[in-house]
Amino acid sequence: MKFSQLNRRSHLYLGLFLTPWVLLYALSSVPFSHGDFFEARDKAQGLPLWTRTFEGHYDLGPIPATGALKPLGAKVLRDFHLEDRAYGVYRAGPKQLNIYAHTFWKATQFQYFIEEKRLVAENRRFRWEHFLTGMHARGGFEDERWFPVLWAVLIDLVCLAFLLWIASGLYMWWSLPALRTWGSIAIFSGLASFVVFVLRL
Amino acid sequence: MYAVSTFVMNHRDLFQGPPPSPPPQFELERELVYPGEFPVGATASQIALQVLAMLQLDGTHTVARPFSPEKVVINRLHPITPRRITYRAAEKRVTVERMVFAGAGFLERLHRRRGFQHPYLGEDLWAATVDLTIVALLLLALTGLWMWWELRVTRAWGAVSLVSGCALFALFLGSM
Repeated sequence: MKFSQLNRRSHLYLGLFLTPWVLLYALSSVPFSHGDFFEARDKAQGLPLWTRTFEGHYDLGPIPATGALKPLGAKVLRDFHLEDRAYGVYRAGPKQLNIYAHTFWKATQFQYFIEEKRLVAENRRFRWEHFLTGMHARGGFEDERWFPVLWAVLIDLVCLAFLLWIASGLYMWWSLPALRTWGSIAIFSGLASFVVFVLRL
Repeated sequence: MYAVSTFVMNHRDLFQGPPPSPPPQFELERELVYPGEFPVGATASQIALQVLAMLQLDGTHTVARPFSPEKVVINRLHPITPRRITYRAAEKRVTVERMVFAGAGFLERLHRRRGFQHPYLGEDLWAATVDLTIVALLLLALTGLWMWWELRVTRAWGAVSLVSGCALFALFLGSM
């Protein structure tokens, strides 16, 4: 197989395999880019975003002043049978911990009031734009379960694929002399406008 | 930019150390006494606009919460050199701090910049290019599918690639 054929085939098959991810990142960028529009549209419905599912006494034990809070979040998730969720634990000031547990489809937030030993749990209403932006933002290798790690590996593959599509696209363009002039204009005007944005934005 | 910045964000531990990520570092750029006056009852946003104009740094910014006319902290957004500008009303003192440059932060700022919520033309133009990128991605995916279907010789292996990608994606949708 010649290099040019290998180049075209890898460009094509990688693109077809990753089509769902390309569509995901394109479509999910719409609510990011037009957040005000989606917020106003949702607000007009007058529906509460969060529904309280639990409020009461709960003892998380001593809270470390610094360091990892993940084990505390894991305990709460175990007690509420949400071990399948990805989660993060955040300090919301010296007297409060927030735990945010989610899947692509569902999200639950816990607010733990340290001095009162009180816990509030709330479920978030499903919204398509949250579903899309949640998928878009999901990444990283912090989650030790193998399936989320595989998702993170796929994200790396998408990054690599974009670089390959650019490189193989450039190679294919250069192989077509008839398109070189207008192609050069497109590339250089894109590069120039990007540099101007980076310097002046 | 989106490919490289996504890779960096996907490997935060590698580029920024284990969580929690340290706050960005700032270095003092200049400090001065503000010579002007503000209208009576000026809001934090009005003060921010006036201070930025005086510093010749007018542009996309946010005002840190909680809003207070006594101490206004302005975050002047910029891909390379974001600045934190603090105005203390009691001393009429303005402190300008520049964020220490870090490659990972630079890429992440570019990745996250979007939307039409700021009243600046440059910001709107950037947001328009983000929308153009979205349209281009959709077109690349759809025209790619069409071009693949036109090539009979690659239909079988192309179908295997497409179906296996869709199946894996569906598995993620159902399991995460």
